[in-house]
Amino acid sequence: MDRRKFIQTTGLMSTTVLFPKVLLSNSAKSANKDRFPKPLEPVMKGDVKEFRLAIDIYQQEVVPGFKFHTLAFNEQVPGPEIRVNKGDKVRVVFKNNTELNHTIHWHGIYVPWRMDGVPYVTQMPVMPGKEFVYEFVAEPYGTHFYHCHWGTLLHMQSGMYGSFIVEDPDDPIKREFPYEREYTLVYSAHDSNFIRRELNSMLERMKERMYLMKNGRFDKERFAVFDTKDEFVSAVNNGYQPPYSTNRRAPAELAQPNWFTVNGKSYPMTPNIYITEGENIRLRLINAGGEEHFLHLHGHDFWQVCDDGLPVPQPWQMNTVRLSPGKTIDIIIEGNNRGLWTFHDHDTRRVTNNGLYPGGNLLALVYEDLPSSEVELDPMTQKMGLNALPLVALDE
Amino acid sequence: MLNTKSKLKWLFVIVTGVAPVFSQVNPEIQLGVRGLTSFNTDVGADKATSAVNDFSDTGLLLGFRQKLYSRFRGQFVIGFQFPDADSDLGQLFFHQTFLKVEDKANILKMGRSRVRSSLIEFPTLRDDDALSFTDVLNPFSSGENTEDNQFGNVLELTHIHNQRYWLRIHGEHFTRTPLVQASSETDFSLNALGLSIEYRVPRTQLWNRPIVQQIGFGYNNYLMKKSQFADEYGDVLRNFIFSAIVNLRRDPVHFWDLRSQVISNLGFDEISAIDDYYSLTRARSIGGLTSLRYIYRKLERPTVQLALSGGYKVFPDLTNKTTQTQVVGNVFYRLGENFDVGLQVQYLAYNGDLENLFGENEMRFQFGLVYSIDQLWNDQFDDRESLLNLEHGYIP
Repeated sequence: MDRRKFIQTTGLMSTTVLFPKVLLSNSAKSANKDRFPKPLEPVMKGDVKEFRLAIDIYQQEVVPGFKFHTLAFNEQVPGPEIRVNKGDKVRVVFKNNTELNHTIHWHGIYVPWRMDGVPYVTQMPVMPGKEFVYEFVAEPYGTHFYHCHWGTLLHMQSGMYGSFIVEDPDDPIKREFPYEREYTLVYSAHDSNFIRRELNSMLERMKERMYLMKNGRFDKERFAVFDTKDEFVSAVNNGYQPPYSTNRRAPAELAQPNWFTVNGKSYPMTPNIYITEGENIRLRLINAGGEEHFLHLHGHDFWQVCDDGLPVPQPWQMNTVRLSPGKTIDIIIEGNNRGLWTFHDHDTRRVTNNGLYPGGNLLALVYEDLPSSEVELDPMTQKMGLNALPLVALDE
Repeated sequence: MLNTKSKLKWLFVIVTGVAPVFSQVNPEIQLGVRGLTSFNTDVGADKATSAVNDFSDTGLLLGFRQKLYSRFRGQFVIGFQFPDADSDLGQLFFHQTFLKVEDKANILKMGRSRVRSSLIEFPTLRDDDALSFTDVLNPFSSGENTEDNQFGNVLELTHIHNQRYWLRIHGEHFTRTPLVQASSETDFSLNALGLSIEYRVPRTQLWNRPIVQQIGFGYNNYLMKKSQFADEYGDVLRNFIFSAIVNLRRDPVHFWDLRSQVISNLGFDEISAIDDYYSLTRARSIGGLTSLRYIYRKLERPTVQLALSGGYKVFPDLTNKTTQTQVVGNVFYRLGENFDVGLQVQYLAYNGDLENLFGENEMRFQFGLVYSIDQLWNDQFDDRESLLNLEHGYIP
């Protein structure tokens, strides 16, 4: 009997045995489902799939006992997942319910340039209370994402990002690695102190600016917006103090992230990835934050099958993948080594919550067919009142 | 055997008699600095002209703050300033040394701090430039130190209702000068009690307040039996304070406001003449100060501030008709971030008993430089009056 058959046999035998209740109960699975981006259902308008996104200020509980103010699409961090087929006509009606400016950039999508969401380059910002309609055809195939492109340093780490998946009914990855289940994991890094300071600062500025805008008063130097580079240079030569010099309007320090999230949550509230023996699963990894992540899976190699949404010419086997800011990478995990395995950033500074290890983007690959006997603790540990693996450890 | 660090910790515990100190949680550290120097020229009707290089009110504040285990926050503030040249307070005066515990709606403050002898601040070069009008005068003071009227040992409890209504009850130990031999009555025993009610629009909502910025009422009782003063006239000296600040033009570029404060000192009936500072503070009087202020804000920062203030006080019970008048005009120009140059002209006129004490009138010309800093390190949580906390849910 080879190893795979042995594993499959023992897996089948163990189906009659009690599985780890903590991980596989209905309530645990239901709670886990909530830790993935919720799909946004379109309304068909003719042959156009219309989605509605609204942005509000929201409080995100990253882990129990810690919340911070965020900018959330449809009151979710990340924003809801938009899933369409390649070639679909897409319309996204974006409503700005905050007192800040925003846009949406469709990262990796071949949109017409006026739909690209770059303020002052492709469009004016979507101002408080206003709507903007984005229209484009969904292509290319693959894992992409959307995010705000106004005040990007602040707005992205404040929660303005979400997955955008373009499916192909004849999915090339599925053909090569047949799978049924897939999971979207959106990574980000947040400096909660920077977010708080900057959001407050921006809100204060915008209250003042909106007062002037309502009265039809716009001053180029005051708003720091010029028609041309020459006009800007001329203003500086005539004594204008740009905001990056001696007339700062924002905190002096750049962001130093202290929270690292997957789908808006940090360990131990990160999602579990469920798999069974012999199953292939697809993970869509999206880095919507500003930090690099080196994601390592214990006990397995996996296949990198897509890069920036595009299928790679030759899938590449590895156990650690580098996920840079702005990248999406798809991997296939083969269920060939039963157990509870961690999948985490190997830059362990990102496996922390506010500086304390463990935390951050640490999550678990869970074999659903793991027999309970394998997760039991020894009698001495049970005397401490602990029952079974995995345990939630907050201080090592 | 204890290592050196442990030894120090135990030493500290022994010395202070409080629980051991841990250093893992960094406090927020706040530094407030005000450098203020002016060249003053006094021209009195019956005095020789004098010229003074004055750096009084220059000072430094250092604050430490952190979250407590519950919803509360704790803070310690220590600060000093340079008193007036003719005071008997020495080179440095520790004007702020207090501890504060607060949550969203309640503040307990204990220690030396600003007393509630005034409800609002006025646009003068120094805080004590119009002291007779801005503050209820300390009836235990000889008048030698203006700080006696502004600072004391304070026990104050504040409740904030609906973000804008501030109710305070407070007890103070006002300094008695000249100092007498310390006793249980003179040390820190409360010699004043009072309360105040204010409607106050948070600073961050500057552009949300159509007309009224602040309306306040204060009631102070000075317990004359305390501090080794006999109840020569009565047990309690009572004062009322009324204040209001209104926007005349709520415009981010050309901003105008008007503020006024009236102090009614009920005094003692028996005082019919003012022959020293004690009787000045205890005679029945009613006085008010009104300021008109204009601020030009070019790049979302004050660029120029102009203010004109006028005060008038009358002492109705005195045998000689006695009044006091003051006019203060000033202009400040911002040379750079937080650095101002200013010119101020003051005119003071006295008649009746006050003419005998202070002369008929006096003109003071002042040219000053002011540099103010307010810096925060280890920023960890938000302020009660931030826009996020006020408008998007308070996070403790």
